[in-house]
Amino acid sequence: MLSAMGMSSMEELFADIPAEVRMTEALPLPLPQSEEEILADARRLLGANVAMGERVSFLGAGLYRNYVPASVFQLVTRGEFLTAYTPYQPEVSQGMLQAMWEFQTLISELVGLPIANLSLYDGSTAAAEALTCCVRVHNRKATQKNTVYVSELTPPDRLSVMSNYCQGAEINIKLLRHHPDGTLDLESVTEAAGSCGVYVEQPNPLGILDSGVSQIKSIIGENTALIVAVQPVSLGLVEAPGNFGADIVVGEGQPLGSPVTGGGPIYGIFACSKTYLRLMPGRIVGRSLDVDGKVAYCLTLSTREQHIRRHRATSNICTNETLIALMGAMHMSLLGPEGLQTLAVRNMTACILAKQKLSRVEKITLPHSTSHHFNEFVIELPGSSKDCLAHLDALGIIGGFDLSAWYPERKNWLLATFTDQTNEKQIDLLITHLTAWASSQEVNA
Amino acid sequence: MSNLFEFNGAKGQGYSQPAPVLPESSIVLPASLARKSLPRWPRLSEPEMVRHYTWLSKRNFGIDTGFYPLGSCTMKHNPRVNEVIAQIPGIADIHPHQPEHHIQGLLAIFYEMQYMLEICSGMDQVTLQPVAGAQGEFTAVRCVQEYFRLRGETQRTKVIVPDSAHGTNPASAAMCGFEIVEIPSKADGRIDLEALRAVADETTAVMMITNPNTLGLFEPDILEASAIVHGVGGQMYYDGANFNAILGITSPGLMGFDAVHFNLHKTFSQPHGGGGPGSGPIGVKSHLAEFLPGPLVEQRAPVGDESNAAIDNMWYGWYQPKHTIGKVQQWHGNAGAIIRCWAYYRRYGRGLKTMSEHAVLNANYLRHAIHKATKAAGVDSMVCDGAEAVVAKHEFTLSLAPALEMHGISAMDVAKGLLDKGYMAPTVYFPLVVPECMMVEPTETESKETLDDFATHFAEVLQVDAETLHAAPITTPVRRVDEVYAARNLCLRHPYDDE
Repeated sequence: MLSAMGMSSMEELFADIPAEVRMTEALPLPLPQSEEEILADARRLLGANVAMGERVSFLGAGLYRNYVPASVFQLVTRGEFLTAYTPYQPEVSQGMLQAMWEFQTLISELVGLPIANLSLYDGSTAAAEALTCCVRVHNRKATQKNTVYVSELTPPDRLSVMSNYCQGAEINIKLLRHHPDGTLDLESVTEAAGSCGVYVEQPNPLGILDSGVSQIKSIIGENTALIVAVQPVSLGLVEAPGNFGADIVVGEGQPLGSPVTGGGPIYGIFACSKTYLRLMPGRIVGRSLDVDGKVAYCLTLSTREQHIRRHRATSNICTNETLIALMGAMHMSLLGPEGLQTLAVRNMTACILAKQKLSRVEKITLPHSTSHHFNEFVIELPGSSKDCLAHLDALGIIGGFDLSAWYPERKNWLLATFTDQTNEKQIDLLITHLTAWASSQEVNA
Repeated sequence: MSNLFEFNGAKGQGYSQPAPVLPESSIVLPASLARKSLPRWPRLSEPEMVRHYTWLSKRNFGIDTGFYPLGSCTMKHNPRVNEVIAQIPGIADIHPHQPEHHIQGLLAIFYEMQYMLEICSGMDQVTLQPVAGAQGEFTAVRCVQEYFRLRGETQRTKVIVPDSAHGTNPASAAMCGFEIVEIPSKADGRIDLEALRAVADETTAVMMITNPNTLGLFEPDILEASAIVHGVGGQMYYDGANFNAILGITSPGLMGFDAVHFNLHKTFSQPHGGGGPGSGPIGVKSHLAEFLPGPLVEQRAPVGDESNAAIDNMWYGWYQPKHTIGKVQQWHGNAGAIIRCWAYYRRYGRGLKTMSEHAVLNANYLRHAIHKATKAAGVDSMVCDGAEAVVAKHEFTLSLAPALEMHGISAMDVAKGLLDKGYMAPTVYFPLVVPECMMVEPTETESKETLDDFATHFAEVLQVDAETLHAAPITTPVRRVDEVYAARNLCLRHPYDDE
């Protein structure tokens, strides 16, 4: 190939790189490996990890280990999907374009809003982009300029992403208060009227399904966006936020279609009403026609995006999570409406059963027991949840999430999650060991 | 064939589920919480669902379908063993909140990737958290912003971006709150040092640039550009979109950069999946390291019980940089993508340089082959190089401006003609500095035969008359799609019968 170009060495191809910037030594990296060696190393290293499935796990707190049907994995690794780029040439990208237009419809129906994009990076970036979006739309009429209100329960890592995305536009993030029973203080919501947006989660980070959320829109009015983050599986039982006035719905799409995968790649849901359409982030597929009048799909409303609008774009997002959203679409199309409901019922009944059983354990209290929970709730322990989790871990149980990581004063709060993967035996195992640990705490005290 | 919502087949569920642990009647939700009507999703059997998505896949073009010379996108082969590895439960079934002793193997791979990227880029510290190139840009510019805030240099409100830059550069800097100063490039896309000198001053925070530039040409004046920006106290940011050209040959560190993002999905072959996922780690010099999003992975000797879980007698743990900007993704980035990219890197190891050499060889050979083929076919007057250069790097630009002037054949027409030949079209109309631009990037994983065939077919397309090319493509699942119609008659979801 070099001689065809009249060259004699590879060096000639790099003659334009000045000597001052050349690397002079070989990279201090290991020797190249064969496929077999790489696979063996991967199995050794990843095999040393503790997969949740090897244990009895009650860990959720935002990501949920649901069952993903086998056909999803089989289909999503078809090379035509897997190895395609963003569909810039629609004539040869109809498959992914149509699948994403269908995804938009599935999400739209799920959350009760007319418009959905084809994914953002994760739930936190979807929430962050929703905040900047609502400021773009509402700031002109807002009496509290550049201001949004966010539930004080929002996990700090998620809030941190929001802060990073909001600081450039100098958006103030103010906090909404909650009652001791974990429900939203609607008095506090009245302070948000006149701001650009209100962000709450349903179920909230304590696992509570808060009926007050359905009243927020009537408090804040038309000129303040109601942004609701959802756990998508819960929407098989719980009212779609679009039906109680939510303007933007976001969320971690992961429970539909994707394994937890260490927290990524997963996909963020972003749906909204028509008011936000031209100022929303992310890619959108539209249905169109080809020159023969045949139905055809293409990316549309691209003038919002960075490759056209550059620094005036609504977001810098380019690469998104299309393939994982495709897994979501596949899972949703297998479930159907009744399958989604069944999946939600399996989550919620596991949660109810665990609540019933745990409420009978001495020295353990459920601080939010008067509320409804979807698939997780707080257990108040007689000692630190850190110690409790270490104790359970030694017994092969991943006991849940230590809430002091989010709320430092809550040293004894454990967030335990019960999903479609939870059975009664596992719940009983947890009860047995929690009971024993709790009673030992009493002795020590 | 219909869309998903027009199926009239089985009315069941596509998969069966076990019974709930309690009867559904145990759930009593008040009216304010209960869903009134279920989403109008289709009811498909598994075979219907499998056929639907198989049919869709056949209407989609990937690298597996054929040659994909999409400039700036680095569409190299995606080795399938990487997909097998990503399904190992030790990554697929891992929760980011699991304790360190559960994920020593994962952290060991993260640490190795941090180290490898530091070595290859000449940076001092890498974070793997950003999940896409654009997010990497945003993250790095945020770190620089906090660095200047801590130093009290709040007058640095501007980011300099060449007009040939990827759109994400100005968009990311603007999201951080910076004012964008766009400077013109020279005709070959290279930096206009005079233009840079004219705008660089004490208000400059960052200059964002890629090298090789967006025309695929190495920027010989890069050290001078770095000196100008550093001279006014600004920081140099390297857009790693074109990193595939220079691994093991030069590095952003040697070129004077302070921060860099990597498009792991390009350089290290995480499949693009029709638009994502990606992975966009960033690397920085030591003065910016304390600002990175955390947690980062560190390696040390195990203490006490830790030796039970340690990997090769090393313990891997998370730590937070002192002045961290916080998080840009709630979890630990796209861990699954990072694992695949680790597998790709391991294939080359210290021989990563050969990867870049072959990418550059293939690009230059294809440029040569296209000129040769067009000349042999007598159509060489229709196409010229997008920029004068003896050698390109991993990609090159062509201009179809002569074809447009002589025959009314545009770059888009040629692109559509190439679709009919069974290829993905190169990137068209980017960068904007080249009229009727076609940007071609073959990557290192293509054979000489593929490149020769493409050159021949390219010349064949130029021999087709304008009228026929305007009508191309004709062999694809649909023909030219009316994008104006799509924008004017917005149909963004399935129109149900009652709508």
